[in-house]
Amino acid sequence: MAEHAFLLDLGRCIGCQACVVACKTGNELGEGQQYIQLIEKTQGEFPAITTGWDNHRCFHCTDASCVAVCPTGALYKEDGLTRLDRDVCSGCAYCTQACPYEIPVMYEGKASKCDGCAATTKAGGTPWCVETCPSNALMYGTREEIQAEAHARAEALRARYPNAHVYGENQLDGLGMLVVMPDDPEKLDIPIDPKVPFMAASWQTVVQPAAVGLTLGAALIAGGAAVIARYRHEQEVEELEAQGVIGNGASSSEQEEG
Amino acid sequence: MARVKLDITRRSFLKGGVAAGGLALMSPTASIGAAGGMLNARDPWYLEGPIETTYNVCDICPWRCGVIVHSVNGVVRKIDGNPKDPKSRGKLCARGQGGVSFMYDPDRLQSPMIRTGDRGSGQFKEVTWEEALDYVAAALLNIKDKYGQESLAVFGHTSGDAWFADHFAQAWGTPNAAKPSSSLCLSPRDEAATLTYGSAVGGHEPVDWDGIEAMTLIGSHIGEDARNTVMQDFANAYARGAKVIVVDPRQSSVAAKADYWLPIKPGTDAALMLAWMNVIINEGLYDQDYVAEWTQGFDQLAAHVLEFTPDWAAGITDLSAAQIRETAQVMAASRPRSVVIPGRHTTWYGNDSQRMRSTYLVNALLGVYGREGGMYINKSVYLDSYPYPPYTVTGSSGGCSAEPGAETESALPLGPTGKARADGVREDFMRGATALQELIDPMISGDPYPIKGLMVYGTNLLNSVPDRERTIEALKALEFVVAIDVLPQEHIAWADVVLPEATYLERYEDLWTVPHKTPYIALREPAAEPLYDTKPGWWISRELGMRVGLEEFYKWETIEEYLDKRLVSVGSSIEKMRAEGGIITQSGKPYLEDFGDSSPFHTATGKINLYSEELAAAGHDPMPVYEAIEEPPTGYFRLLYGRHPVHTFAKTQNTPVLNDVYSENVVWLNASAAEQLGVDNEQYVMLENQDGRRSGPVRVKVTQRIRNDAVFLVHGWGHDSPGLTRAAGRGASDTQLQSRYKLDPISGGAGMRVNFVKIDKEGV
Repeated sequence: MAEHAFLLDLGRCIGCQACVVACKTGNELGEGQQYIQLIEKTQGEFPAITTGWDNHRCFHCTDASCVAVCPTGALYKEDGLTRLDRDVCSGCAYCTQACPYEIPVMYEGKASKCDGCAATTKAGGTPWCVETCPSNALMYGTREEIQAEAHARAEALRARYPNAHVYGENQLDGLGMLVVMPDDPEKLDIPIDPKVPFMAASWQTVVQPAAVGLTLGAALIAGGAAVIARYRHEQEVEELEAQGVIGNGASSSEQEEG
Repeated sequence: MARVKLDITRRSFLKGGVAAGGLALMSPTASIGAAGGMLNARDPWYLEGPIETTYNVCDICPWRCGVIVHSVNGVVRKIDGNPKDPKSRGKLCARGQGGVSFMYDPDRLQSPMIRTGDRGSGQFKEVTWEEALDYVAAALLNIKDKYGQESLAVFGHTSGDAWFADHFAQAWGTPNAAKPSSSLCLSPRDEAATLTYGSAVGGHEPVDWDGIEAMTLIGSHIGEDARNTVMQDFANAYARGAKVIVVDPRQSSVAAKADYWLPIKPGTDAALMLAWMNVIINEGLYDQDYVAEWTQGFDQLAAHVLEFTPDWAAGITDLSAAQIRETAQVMAASRPRSVVIPGRHTTWYGNDSQRMRSTYLVNALLGVYGREGGMYINKSVYLDSYPYPPYTVTGSSGGCSAEPGAETESALPLGPTGKARADGVREDFMRGATALQELIDPMISGDPYPIKGLMVYGTNLLNSVPDRERTIEALKALEFVVAIDVLPQEHIAWADVVLPEATYLERYEDLWTVPHKTPYIALREPAAEPLYDTKPGWWISRELGMRVGLEEFYKWETIEEYLDKRLVSVGSSIEKMRAEGGIITQSGKPYLEDFGDSSPFHTATGKINLYSEELAAAGHDPMPVYEAIEEPPTGYFRLLYGRHPVHTFAKTQNTPVLNDVYSENVVWLNASAAEQLGVDNEQYVMLENQDGRRSGPVRVKVTQRIRNDAVFLVHGWGHDSPGLTRAAGRGASDTQLQSRYKLDPISGGAGMRVNFVKIDKEGV
């Protein structure tokens, strides 16, 4: 089956937050829980300024460090996207530390992030954010369709923004969300070359092999590993939370009006 | 790819029914095998049972998108745009998505109530509808007997307002029916349009976005005012490469996308427009054939703008002459596919009709009206009215849903006891829809005659009408106040009787008839039974009418009967509309060539009035001039206000899901001004205006995105009604800080950007 991907066209996005609320209502997210946040980023001094919106949401990396560090399999790759099963999440919060884009957060004791509207798309629907976007800045389709559209849009956008390009073809073995980026991604505080943290890489060599190819037994092993790991790192996580390195809610105070 | 597999019970799939309608989800059971894999643990709402769909018209903002409402087991779960609707085209904004949460807000008014404590105390007893309606009817008849029908004012806002501010008021016989959407918003725009090209702009601005090549926005905030259609149209035009010029003291969302952002000094827009006309005329950039055929007064205008050079305007606007000249050239290069967009909220400085006229004159020079890619001519819907007897008084409430040309007659309509509108029209201002804020003084002073009763529907009086203290004085002076609303807004505490209305998702409504490129009719039908002891507006209006002797205006027994009767004239019915997707579209006549030898412009000459004889005759400048406005005193900033994309008016701040995304407003303060004042980003401050009115605490947003002579607040915050449990005490109220306004002498609009505030760091 062809893998799927999202397109996010920041040339078109006008920061209206329709996606944010469509996601919250379609997925019936809880109070304080958001999978998408629009964060205003302004460069320069009045009046010579540029402003854009970081559509802060899961990039669905192929080389997904959140998946690599997840001890229970709650995070996993499917159809090119990074899924999250909160029923299986043990709440260890490793994913919140491992993600180079700082996407997963803890919500009510478990990880919280966009799962690509797994249930909705499997029932034949379109991801809620894509369905509603008034600016047509979001698309969902096979990776080939999305790639072609992204390049066509970036090409057209170069008439206005000479540095316009497609972001996400090379980062972390390719992102499940390709971004039409009008300019340097660092202007939106999005890293040009995101790195899988050392911790995530080491997890891959320890936990992952135990899980490969196994079924229920592996789940028990992985679950057991999670319990042990969680015990060993509980204190560390608390400390990180206290320092504000990892969040204990989904909503960030960075949220600003556009 | 191998990975850990866990056994998740797929009961959620198995119990689901077959989805129907616009959601386009497949039968869930059929999809399991193909998709495989795991799901988020929680059962998605759409698998809980069969999805029922109903058609509706969104009420969350005044734009009124056609929507499809999805319910499961009688509970409303999700709202999407209706693909057949010419406004939503299947999409929906953040606010519209919040409609479900608006309906299920536990803070809603739940039962009819009669006041037991003092006015303003918020003390009520719950009563039956029978008791409440009888009480209101007796009070209304008492006012009629003592003072005449004209002494009842009716204010209406939101999508059921026509049942009260139009139908009930006109049947009852008061000319004092008003809507904030007129004199607190659109009046200058629409009166200037009527004076210039013969008709109001209309609720759906007739910009021909599909072919537009350049757009100029004057303080218009696409993306923040969040009109769904306009965001779609803008994004498509922008992606096509259409040029964008934005004139705004603040780098709004759309200014951030602009090719040219002109951070103009507030209140000087007319100077810029005059200089643009100077360049367009003197450099021969105007559409000479169009101007010759379709306008009158060109020679006078050319002579008039001769002295208003870019150099002259530069000194006034804080823009450079080169910038002014270049943008004029860019605009003209794309004509007639180049439009100064009419905008919407235009009550700014009190000189607003003249400013709006200047934007239309630029458009006329560019040959925009009736041209492809410019402004099309919108056409009204063909649909019969319900066969009522003639109304007791002709209406003039205007509003965003009004048909063009609401009030153009020189003789004012008189009520049954011979009294015309009490808002000072013809004396204090020239013409236009009834000016809501001008009806407040007569409530206090009794001049020109007493207004003793107030019926207020869906209008947050204390968070939308400037000079809040004056409004409270009026609320104290009135003999009788009845409020019909969904939420316990601030003014509810001042009512004698409160009638709780069902939300738009729980009621039928009159048909929407939208003048448009393709005029259309939209249906609203209930998606669920009304919650609590609430009733639809049409029902409340009818029950009151039947009790005060207006039976002949409410001959229909049910709303379905009323709607079906109207739909006969277009060969349709509620059932047929349902079957056909909730929308009936008719054909339009958008362009000049569709009119043959006749003119689409309803002016006396059939031409666009560059020079206005009507204005000259009424003692106003026949062509726009620039007049300087009062500057903020030292230490004060001009208070600008606008929208956040997630909230509407003073209405949605308490809506749980929208409040969750944006839970308080912030005051935008220029970074260097903040540094001088020693104010940090996110610091809470109080705002105090020139008259000592205070509001806050409110967080400061230190930003490069605004000039240093103005601050900006999102409108509608600073609620203090304790019944609004999420919104109360959050942010600052711009209305509280608007203790004064400047009356537009042409349209009666209340210019509200004439207030100044200082930042108080200590009194938080």
